[in-house]
Amino acid sequence: MKYVIIGNGVAGIQAAETIRQFDSEGSITMIGDETFPPYCRPMISLALEGSVDQDKLHIRSAGFYDDLNIRPVLGKRVTGIDVDNKKVLIQEKSARPSLQASSTIMDLICKLLSIFGGDPGTEPRRGSETGFEFDKLLIATGADPRPVKATGLNLKNIFYMRTEVHVRQMLEILPGAKNALVLGGGLVGFKAAYGLLCRGLHVTMLIRSDYPLSMQVDEKAGRMILDQLSEHGLEVKVGVEVTGFEGIKKVERANLSDKTAIACDMVVVGKGVLPALSFVPRDKIQADLGILVDQHMETNIPGIFAAGDVAQSVDIARKISWVNAIWPEAVEQGRIAGMNMAGRQTAYKGSLSRNVIRIFDLDVMTAGLVNPPSDPSYEVVSSDNLRLNIYRKLVFRNDKLAGFVMVNAIEQGGILMSLIKNEIPVKIPKAAMLEPSFNYNQLMM
Amino acid sequence: MKKVVVHPERCVGCMQCMIACATAHSQTKNLFSATLEDPLPRPRVHVGAGLYGEGFPNRCRHCDPAPCMFACLPGAIYRDWETDTVLIDPDKCINCASCAMACPFGVIRYHEDASAPLKKTVAVKCDNCLERQNQGLIPACVEVCKSRALTFEDPSDAMKRKTNEVAQSLSSDTSRIEIAPGFTLLNTIKRTQVELKIEN
Ligand SMILES: Cc1cc2nc3c(=O)[nH]c(=O)nc-3n(C[C@H](O)[C@H](O)[C@H](O)COP(=O)(O)OP(=O)(O)OC[C@H]3O[C@@H](n4cnc5c(N)ncnc54)[C@H](O)[C@@H]3O)c2cc1C
Ligand code: SF4
Repeated sequence: MKYVIIGNGVAGIQAAETIRQFDSEGSITMIGDETFPPYCRPMISLALEGSVDQDKLHIRSAGFYDDLNIRPVLGKRVTGIDVDNKKVLIQEKSARPSLQASSTIMDLICKLLSIFGGDPGTEPRRGSETGFEFDKLLIATGADPRPVKATGLNLKNIFYMRTEVHVRQMLEILPGAKNALVLGGGLVGFKAAYGLLCRGLHVTMLIRSDYPLSMQVDEKAGRMILDQLSEHGLEVKVGVEVTGFEGIKKVERANLSDKTAIACDMVVVGKGVLPALSFVPRDKIQADLGILVDQHMETNIPGIFAAGDVAQSVDIARKISWVNAIWPEAVEQGRIAGMNMAGRQTAYKGSLSRNVIRIFDLDVMTAGLVNPPSDPSYEVVSSDNLRLNIYRKLVFRNDKLAGFVMVNAIEQGGILMSLIKNEIPVKIPKAAMLEPSFNYNQLMM
Repeated sequence: MKKVVVHPERCVGCMQCMIACATAHSQTKNLFSATLEDPLPRPRVHVGAGLYGEGFPNRCRHCDPAPCMFACLPGAIYRDWETDTVLIDPDKCINCASCAMACPFGVIRYHEDASAPLKKTVAVKCDNCLERQNQGLIPACVEVCKSRALTFEDPSDAMKRKTNEVAQSLSSDTSRIEIAPGFTLLNTIKRTQVELKIEN
């Protein structure tokens, strides 16, 4: 059996390890464009903030590929899939000097252009093509940062925050930086802002909604987070966008849509992510925002699977097809894909958005649907203790928990998570679940 | 292999197990001197109250597969296969609380601990008193529990199954094939209720 895995992020790694548990003979080829040994992507924000060393990020040893008898093809980007002939294609770039300093941003612009129909002018010149044959293929290419539309993006010190290389580049210029601008208040923008605040920079954050993490939390928790960050010096501008950057070689100023300008010596773009599937032939492999998979993580083409940030599956809480680009789902989906690829039929229950965030004195945990539509089948119960900075909100769909937000006292959150994930009808008084003394035993009544 | 088995129906809520646990995980292993230690030792077993105020000793079940293990970002949670114990490496732990989100029993706490580097907050939970077991002692919570709500014995297959099913409902298991999604925990809870009634 020939297995090919595209992407050496956590979904790809989990799949490779799982395949090896069941199939010691088959050949496994992993193609990935990052060359650093397998590492924990969410932890790059801890490297930025300085609480974890850059060299403590890996989650597998450098011998990972050897130990599992995997053939690594690293530092290469897959450019296409020949579905009919079961081949993964890599178009080798011809010897053309790469655009060193701004390569990440150029890369993204190229990719974006190729998503919207392609622009041969910015594509690398055609070089030789390598093909990797497969019997079973996993697409685990994760996601790329959503690019911004603005002028002056070629200036230095404008970063995305997705890979360890990005953070390493930021750390290099940190000593000389004073004023940082963060675009976007989603998870990555928020973590970038927090990290830079911890490093003592003056940070301004531009967000569209009135509070950060609006996809993850409700307004009340969002404002608690905002207050906490503001107390530590974060400046937030709501409802404005960047139109362009100016500076001599390096970024010095950002012009905003409200005709004002902000002085900044570094910029982090954190406006969410898009599944990395520009090389996927959409006429063959069905995709929406992400690659559509069934409960075995298999695409519409038998033998081709997808997992992690690039995959789109049923969301347990929302009851619709959705991309939940989070670490625990990438882990689980990678494992399930690996099992099914190795012939072990295993079903995936569906994905569930969830997150736990610790900043200064706040612990925030959220899962599922936290801002329900106004529909009589939803019921919200909540309580707070502002003296202790504790807040809890539970969202029920009929008698089942569909989502929650917890600020502080988060230790029992896993129980709530399992109620959502397993769609268990709640038989006890809903308000009892708001109590700080709520525990597992109470559900067994 | 002997394990700590919890019989919640026998618990009188005296919380002696919590004190014994904190002492067993202190630097001095003595109740009186332990209260003077920094960091102050804290228990890894937690006596909560049921809906009707009845006692309920709650501790890590050392599930297999363990959902916290898959959720841990830096890979700090591992299984010691010899003793079938799920352990947390305090040096690797980054205090992210991803494990709190994964644990269906809510037994992990976050604080400084004698086992961790100084002034570092880490995830802490039951370690089956491996240090005591190495000295030929039984886990401290069991030793002190006079109402036999905590016992150290070979768990029945039913008990093992019960725990693991709850855990499996939160992690993707390699030994399980094609289950109807969603019903595992519900069934487990129902079965537990029946088993508890039978045991009484
Ligand atoms: C700063 C930051 C903080 C985060 N914090 C959290 C958090 O707190 N909690 C949480 O749950 N999640 C968090 N996430 C999200 C989490 O990191 C992702 O969900 C997870 O890493 C996805 O894993 P993956 O394997 O699907 O994709 P990835 O880790 O992105 O791996 C995909 C790999 O494939 C490679 N690749 C892409 N295209 C190609 C190609 N064409 N050819 C070859 N290789 C290719 C990529 O370079 C990459 O190495 C965070 C992400 C970031 C960036
Ligand atoms: S808190 Fe520590 S043990 Fe728990 S998931 Fe995070 S790193 Fe792992």
